[in-house]
Amino acid sequence: MIAAGVLAGSIPASAGDPLPAKTPAQVLELLASHQVQSFSGTVEQSSELGLPELPAAGKPTGPASAGGAASVIELLSGDHTARIYVDGKDNARLQVVDQLAERDVIHHGNDVWFYSSKDNSAAHLALPAHAGDTARPDDGRGMHAMPTPGELARKLLAKVEPTTAVTVGPDVAVAGRAAYNLVLEPRTDATLVGRVAVAVDGKSGMPLSVQVTARGADKPAFRSGFTSLSLDAPDPSLFTFAPPPGSTVKEIQVPDKSHLPASFHEPGMAITPEQFFAQMAANGHPSVTGKSWDAVVGLPAQASSGSPAETLLRDPLLSQAAVVVPGGHLLSTALLNVLIMDDGRIFAGMVPPERLQAVAAGAQ
Amino acid sequence: MPSSVPADTPDADAAARPAPVPAPRSSGLSLLGSELKVLFGRRRTWALLLALAAIPVLIAIAVRVSSPVPPGRGPAFLDRITQNGLFVAFTAMLVSVPLFMPLAVGVVAGDTIAGEANLGTLRYLLVAPAGRVRLLLVKYAGALAFGLVAPLAVGLAGAAIGAALFPVGPVTLLSGGVVQPPEAALRIVLIAAYLAVSLAGLSAIGLFLSTLTVVPVGAMAATVVVSVVSQVLDQLPQLEWLHPWLFSHYWLGFGDMLRQPLLWDSFASNALLQAGYIVVFGALAYGRFVSKDILS
Repeated sequence: MIAAGVLAGSIPASAGDPLPAKTPAQVLELLASHQVQSFSGTVEQSSELGLPELPAAGKPTGPASAGGAASVIELLSGDHTARIYVDGKDNARLQVVDQLAERDVIHHGNDVWFYSSKDNSAAHLALPAHAGDTARPDDGRGMHAMPTPGELARKLLAKVEPTTAVTVGPDVAVAGRAAYNLVLEPRTDATLVGRVAVAVDGKSGMPLSVQVTARGADKPAFRSGFTSLSLDAPDPSLFTFAPPPGSTVKEIQVPDKSHLPASFHEPGMAITPEQFFAQMAANGHPSVTGKSWDAVVGLPAQASSGSPAETLLRDPLLSQAAVVVPGGHLLSTALLNVLIMDDGRIFAGMVPPERLQAVAAGAQ
Repeated sequence: MPSSVPADTPDADAAARPAPVPAPRSSGLSLLGSELKVLFGRRRTWALLLALAAIPVLIAIAVRVSSPVPPGRGPAFLDRITQNGLFVAFTAMLVSVPLFMPLAVGVVAGDTIAGEANLGTLRYLLVAPAGRVRLLLVKYAGALAFGLVAPLAVGLAGAAIGAALFPVGPVTLLSGGVVQPPEAALRIVLIAAYLAVSLAGLSAIGLFLSTLTVVPVGAMAATVVVSVVSQVLDQLPQLEWLHPWLFSHYWLGFGDMLRQPLLWDSFASNALLQAGYIVVFGALAYGRFVSKDILS
C-alpha cells in the first residue's frame, strides 16, 4: 500500500513556481509563525531502522497481538499510513490505517478516545478542564508563552548553531505543495545522525515532512510526511466518537495533570510510554552524558521487578533483535542504540555502541 | 482434421464475408447477450457460484454451533459475527479472496477460448461475422461479469445466512463508527465491486492463457497457479520492490471500504494496476489470437 505512493519528500519542486529565497532564520520564522488550525491529510511514514524484518503475514498489526514496547516499535518501524483531521485546538482525529484494521485517536473537547478495530476495544481519557490552556506540541505551536516567531527563530538558531549546521536546501514538493527544505546537519562525527531535513510549506509555514538520514547513508532511515493535504476544515462529525456496541471500554487515569500525552498510544498496551516515563522518573533519575547530538541518556538500575530493562527484554520481538555484548544486550538501529546492561541499567543515544559502552563503564 | 479458419485481421474478416446481421453494433451486443446466457446457463457456473455461496454458510454454522470467538482471534471480523450477522458477509469475502475467488475466476477465464476450441465450436463462432477481436472482447466481458457476480454471491449469501442465524443491527466500521444495515449493505456491494476490479487483471491473464491452448483445464490450472504465485511473492519482504506490481497486491485492501470516511486510495491504485494488467495481457491475448490458425 505504501510502496506505490513513495513519499514525495525528495522530489524537486516544479520549476514553474519557485518560492522566494529565504535564509534559514526566515524559514524558521515561517515555521514558528504558522497558524494553520484546520487541516486534513494523509501521512505516510516509512523507516528502515535495520531491525529484523518479519514476513508480512506474521507481522503483528495491532495491539491484540503486540504488547508492551513491541507495539511502539511496530509503529516506529516499517511502513504506516495515517489520516489526520484537525479542526482548531480541540478537535483532532488520527486514523492509523492497517490492513483490514484501524487504530483511531479522537480528541474532542476534553475527551480523548482511543479505538482499535482489531479487538474492538476503546479507551477513554478525560482531560482536566484546564488542559486546553496548556501548550501542546500538536497545534497552537506554543503561541501562548512564546515571544514573536522571529525572535524565537533567532534564539533557536543561536542555540543550535554551535552544534548544528542549519541550511536551506533546494525547494521540495510535498503533497503537491512547494516547500522549503530546512536541513540540519550535526557538526560532530560522534552521532549516528547524518542529517535531518524538514520540509516547511512555502505558503503556510506548516511542517510537511521530516526525513532523518543516518551518517554515511544515502537514503533516509526514517521519513514521515504528508502525501495529501487540505487546509479546509474537516467534517465535524469526524470528531464525535461513542464506543461502538460490543466494544470493551477502559477508562484511563490521567498520569500527570499538567501534561497531555502527545504521542499516540494504544489501549491494548501493557505499558504506555507515559507510564514508562512516569515510572522511570519515580524510581530513579536519568543521567545525561554529553550534549546535543552525542548525548547519552542513562537509566539507573532498579530493584523492583517490572523495571524498564526487564520489560524491554521480556518482549519477544525486542529480545530477538537485541545482540549480546559484553555486560549486557545491545539493541542497535540505524539511528539509535540502546544498551541494556545485565545489572539493569539502560543507556541510550544516537551514538555508536562503543560510546554507550564507554559511558556505561565510566558511570560505574 | 476439420478445415481451418486462417488467421485474418478482423477488418478483412468482416469485409470478406457478407454479414447476415445488418448492424454490427447490435451483433456485438447480441453476441455478449448470448455469451452471458451460455455462461450463466451452464451448470458448472452455477456449481461454482453455489460453492462460493457455501463459504459464508459454513462460517455462519461453524460460529453458531461453537463457543464464542475471543476478540482479535481468527480472520478479521470473525469475532463480531455473534453480535451482528452481517459480519458473516465480510468474513466470508475476506476468507474467499486468497484462493476461492481466484479459483472460480480462473475456471471461467481459462475456459473462455480454450473451452470453445476444445468443444470444436470456436471455428463456428469465427465463421459468424463476429470477428476475432469482438469475440475476444465478448469472452472477456463474460469473465468480468462472472468476476462481479462471484463476490456478490458470497456477500449476499453471507448477509442472508447471517441474518437468519444471528441478530442484525448497526455495523461497526473499522474506524469505530456505526452504520445502519442499509448502509452496511451498500458497503457489501462496494466491497464486491472492489473485488470485481481486483479480479479483472487475473481474468485478463486467464484469457491470454486460454488462447495458448486447446485444453481448458490447462489454462484454468495455470491461471490459478499464477494467482497463488503472485500472492506468495507478495509475502516475501525481500521482494518489496516487486510488490506494487503484483496484481494481487491490493486484494486485501478492500478493508478501506469499511472506514469512515471511505478511503479510496487503494481502490484507485488497484484500478490503475488492474488496468495495466488488462492492457498488457489483453494485448498479448490479441496478438496470439488474431495470428493463430484456428484448427478446432
